[in-house]
Amino acid sequence: MSLKDTLIPFKAWGNLVKKPVTLKDPMREGAPRYRGFHKNDVDTCIGCGSCEAICENEAIVMVPAEGIETKDGDSGLRPLVDYGRCCWCGLCVDVCTTGSLSLSNEHTWICEDPEELKYIPGIDKKPWDEKEEGWKKPVPNYHFYGQERVSMEEMEAEERGDSFIEFVKGYSKEQAQKEADRCVECGICVATCPAHMGIPEYIKAIRNDDIEEGMRVLYETNPLPEICGRICTHKCEDVCSVGHEGDPLSIRWLKRYIADQVPSDKYKEILDTQKIYKGDKKIALIGAGPASLSAAYYLSLLGHNCTIFEKLDKAGGMMRYGIPEYRLPYDQIDKDVKYIESLGTEIIYNTNVDAAKFMELKENYDVVYVGTGLHLGRSTAIPGSDHEHVFQSIDLLREITEGKEIMVPEKVVVIGGGNVAMDITRSIARLQKIKYGKVGVITTSLEKEEVMPADREEVVEAREEGSIINPGWGPKSIEIEDGKIKGLHVVRCLSIFDETGRFNPSLDEDDKNFFEADMIVESIGQGMDISYLPEELKEKIEFGPRGRINVDDYFQTSLDWLFAGGDMIQGPDVIHGIANGHKAAIGIDNFLNKK
Amino acid sequence: MKQVLEKLSASFEIEDIVYQRDDLTFLSAKKENLINLITHLRDIEGFSHFVLLSCVDWIEDDKFQLTYFLNKPEEKYDLGIRCMIDRKEASMDSAHHLWKQIATYQREIKEMFGVDFPGSPGVDEPFILEGWDNIPPMRRDFDTKQYSADTFFPRERPKTNDPKEYMKEQMHPGEWGEYRKEKK
Repeated sequence: MSLKDTLIPFKAWGNLVKKPVTLKDPMREGAPRYRGFHKNDVDTCIGCGSCEAICENEAIVMVPAEGIETKDGDSGLRPLVDYGRCCWCGLCVDVCTTGSLSLSNEHTWICEDPEELKYIPGIDKKPWDEKEEGWKKPVPNYHFYGQERVSMEEMEAEERGDSFIEFVKGYSKEQAQKEADRCVECGICVATCPAHMGIPEYIKAIRNDDIEEGMRVLYETNPLPEICGRICTHKCEDVCSVGHEGDPLSIRWLKRYIADQVPSDKYKEILDTQKIYKGDKKIALIGAGPASLSAAYYLSLLGHNCTIFEKLDKAGGMMRYGIPEYRLPYDQIDKDVKYIESLGTEIIYNTNVDAAKFMELKENYDVVYVGTGLHLGRSTAIPGSDHEHVFQSIDLLREITEGKEIMVPEKVVVIGGGNVAMDITRSIARLQKIKYGKVGVITTSLEKEEVMPADREEVVEAREEGSIINPGWGPKSIEIEDGKIKGLHVVRCLSIFDETGRFNPSLDEDDKNFFEADMIVESIGQGMDISYLPEELKEKIEFGPRGRINVDDYFQTSLDWLFAGGDMIQGPDVIHGIANGHKAAIGIDNFLNKK
Repeated sequence: MKQVLEKLSASFEIEDIVYQRDDLTFLSAKKENLINLITHLRDIEGFSHFVLLSCVDWIEDDKFQLTYFLNKPEEKYDLGIRCMIDRKEASMDSAHHLWKQIATYQREIKEMFGVDFPGSPGVDEPFILEGWDNIPPMRRDFDTKQYSADTFFPRERPKTNDPKEYMKEQMHPGEWGEYRKEKK
């Protein structure tokens, strides 16, 4: 070995004094839009899981996170990112429905154990949580799904203003599929729907043009789809994840689209109910509204014999006698009801159940179910409210449905800010338009515009049709001159509830107004009429706060043979009635099996 | 630049001209005209600099898209020339005689997408995938996940929760479908 060979290894030592060519830690800062580790604004995130669904690498899983509660509109889950799988493509950020997810430009994280390279962004604190730089969803106009809902064709206000014909035309196949295509299938809406309908599943069926599958999904939880597809309060749409950065899915109209496509004579074939087993148990249901109809439908499928007793001459309850025809045509109610009847449920009309009849039902049937709703209008009880031309909205709506002629003067004031108030406002506006060629309705409510309980579109459409909606006033008195109503005195309402959350309106007596009227309609809520319950039973039934009958999770009262559901228990709205009836059917079946 | 492209569009059957920016334009050309077009652009119109060549797999349309990027140094102007070719037996005329370095891009595309460039130097030699025994990995019908599972050691995915099912568990357990199934 030569001297040179011996010295060569030592030459390497010379490198120690040279400037290194490698980068030192901390390394170079990422570019401003560099895609590095995730950040998540966990208060904005709703745990819809779209980030997980789009991730090709399965790098994201949805996990419960500390301090995040599962509630309406929020699954309580948050994404956990596994950096053994993530490729930093950023699709999860781009698809995020709320815009909560982003990437920081931080790109170095050194640890020995690969299993440690995962965390829940926003929950597990990281040094890059506060960094501004990094990849964000490019806004505006950059979305993976349509932000605007497919608009629904409606008759123009001038065209519909003097007619009770249904004015919402319904989606065509192309429109329905286009709207369905906006759904991200997260399923956040299902928990909020009182009936827990399979919403993502039926929307998917529309997308796949499989109407029969859509029908099966609908009837799994809702036997009144034609009705609900038109007038449901669509609480599902309030929590739709797509609604955070755009219009929520038009879930209600999509449901209507499915039901509208199927003719009545196909129902049994599609829903596989041509033959159903019938046992010997008998159930009497009082009131042919949604709660009873729904209970009867599911009880029939369980093999029970149902008889519904209805006071009026047609079925539907508040759906027929409370909701005007322009929103819910009667033939659509008939379509849903006829199918339920075809499965063996008998509806006996024009039968008023009183205490004696009630006891008779108790003797002759295994179970009695009451779903008699809220049909007694509440009065404001202000001075003058006992005048003969002060009406209850619920009475007028029923009389309009029955074809009776109601009083229609040129000037009407409606008191109330809910959907029923809008229904009577718009019905009277139509009748005035027919009679006088012009509209003269003023509707006023305690609630300010922003917190009116009526659906937004109801208020907008009522205005389009010429009614004046003037919210935020508290009624004081009705002025009467020579026995005739002159109008309504109101004062400004500042707030409705006090600090403890109790109904206790605070009024500014100095801020006054006067609405001229020949007739006043009160529409401030309804109460239940349970005068048919015999006194000896009333003593045995447990009542809860505000006089409601106490029921368990399956709508069984403290008397085991008596069940109750619908508006008198929960709501008021159709979808709660349907959900109650469904749950009660399970409860009744369980009860009968134990008997 | 508009004038130049309009002048060329007839003779080279140029389509879909998109003036993306003041210094960037995209256009489409047919496979049979492409080499002539870029030759003309290089020799007559001053697009002397070749920037890059890329490929996209439009599997639904059964096409590959090749995009040639050229640059005109005097005007600092970029031109992207798109060319759709058949996905089955995918092949394109080589352009290595125009710019020597194109051979490297063509070799990469051959390996990653399986688009052949007959006559291009070294086009059949492995680019980075030595010993590759599957369909070209950038083709969209290549199943990356399956390949990974077959080739590498498995790594279990953490447990996940479906938002809908989780909310049901938390907020409304038990439902009709299950009840009826039990009954049947």
